Amino acid sequence: MNILTRRTLSRVAIIDLNSGNLLSLQTAIEAAGCELTTVQKPDRKMLNEFDVLVMPGQGRFAYVMQQINDSGWHDFLLEWVRNGKRLVGICVGMQVLFEGSDEDPEVAGLGLFKGRCHKLQHPKTPMVGWAKLSGLKPSMLAVGSPGESEQHTNKTDTSSEAGFLAQPKRRETRFDAYAYFVNSYAITECPFVTAKINYCNSFCAAVQRGNLYGFQFHPEKSGQFGRELIKHVCQ
Amino acid sequence: MYANDESSGTVSDLCARVIPCLDVAYGRVVKGTNFKELLDMGNPVELAKLYEQQGADELVFLDIKASVDGQDSALEMVRQVACELSIPFAVGGGIKTLDDVHKFFHAGADKVTLNTMAVEKPALINEISTQYGSQSIVVAVDVNHEIDGNLAIYTHGGSRRVDVDYHQWINEVVDRGCGEILLTAMHKDGTGSGFDTDLLAQFGADFPVQVIASGGAKGPSDFLDAIHAGADAVLAAGLFHRSEYTVGEIKEYLINNNIKVRKTTP
Repeated sequence: MNILTRRTLSRVAIIDLNSGNLLSLQTAIEAAGCELTTVQKPDRKMLNEFDVLVMPGQGRFAYVMQQINDSGWHDFLLEWVRNGKRLVGICVGMQVLFEGSDEDPEVAGLGLFKGRCHKLQHPKTPMVGWAKLSGLKPSMLAVGSPGESEQHTNKTDTSSEAGFLAQPKRRETRFDAYAYFVNSYAITECPFVTAKINYCNSFCAAVQRGNLYGFQFHPEKSGQFGRELIKHVCQ
Repeated sequence: MYANDESSGTVSDLCARVIPCLDVAYGRVVKGTNFKELLDMGNPVELAKLYEQQGADELVFLDIKASVDGQDSALEMVRQVACELSIPFAVGGGIKTLDDVHKFFHAGADKVTLNTMAVEKPALINEISTQYGSQSIVVAVDVNHEIDGNLAIYTHGGSRRVDVDYHQWINEVVDRGCGEILLTAMHKDGTGSGFDTDLLAQFGADFPVQVIASGGAKGPSDFLDAIHAGADAVLAAGLFHRSEYTVGEIKEYLINNNIKVRKTTP
């Protein structure tokens, strides 16, 4: 079956938590061919109206959680995930999927993943810039090309997650997996890690469990690789 | 910290960045570019896209507001750039207030760079850092090696010497919360004699913010020397605008010399 004819336009909503500019992300999602809406408050109808929720977050952990709680997203997001719907957290939007952060120890995260954020130990913090992702798992390998040392494993890895995640002409369209980071805190351990990097410590660049995705980096600022990744998780 | 051998001790996947700088006035790229067709189109967006395709890790647009004073065209340009690029970019020149900063961020810029206002109103660095985070603020330090051997700080696009001590100023901008220092060695600018590696070497590996080297680049080895000396990123304008080298050629040279840089598929 031709994957292009089967796929309908996916309906994506960006959650606007009033934490930073959304223009690049909006552009990237639209460029991915998705039907895009930006939403401030949750509504039960959204369970039928949208296929994917994207939650970018900038600023302090406590600020982003407060925005989530004050706008009524907390319970809605838990229900969204319980229904098996796709949720993509970006930057602090990924961090709040976890239980908490050393940045604001008294504030509880959404707890969708176990674990907490820790401060980066590198003297130059926040980490700002590009880094090559390593240890890519299948959902990341659909877009990013593996490092030289990992080359031999990719054939079996990529075929294991065919179906809706598959990209047409995937082999030709894979990109060097360099991603753009801006963060002072990070998840250092998670069994659902799908890409890692080192910055003094090793931390999780991306996590995924079923339809729940987290990116510590900014895919919308990560060049062609990032654009393809957005296409991959939004379609 | 960007050499692949890791003899430096710190394990880091962070890449050294190559950053083309675009001077923009009245919505056009100005100052010696060889990309005639783009210049004629007056289109910084097209030139920015070209540099992104070549593998630029980031872009810096300078003088955009100074040239339009109160008009919306600079913001419109930033908005277009934000829609077209998928890499981060900084804007600077003529930013005077926190409100200016807000407008540029709202239009999609990732960072602002301050030069004159950083000196005249240093509290603005604190304000931006507090409100938007230190990663959003780059302080452009224009330093000149004077004939008397002293290092002097200049503002107003390098035209006005100010009574500020260089070393104190570097520490002050860091203390006030800037996330990066764009260090332009004026005595090197346009000379093609390479970046000032002596100045760069004064920033140790544990210096708390990243340093972007600017001024003097002539060829790929200058970029390598700057990174070896301690630069986290290297910025150049003329060499790219005059098509002497593409960004890709510079990065290829760095990769061949064992420096961690972001590879892009051409």
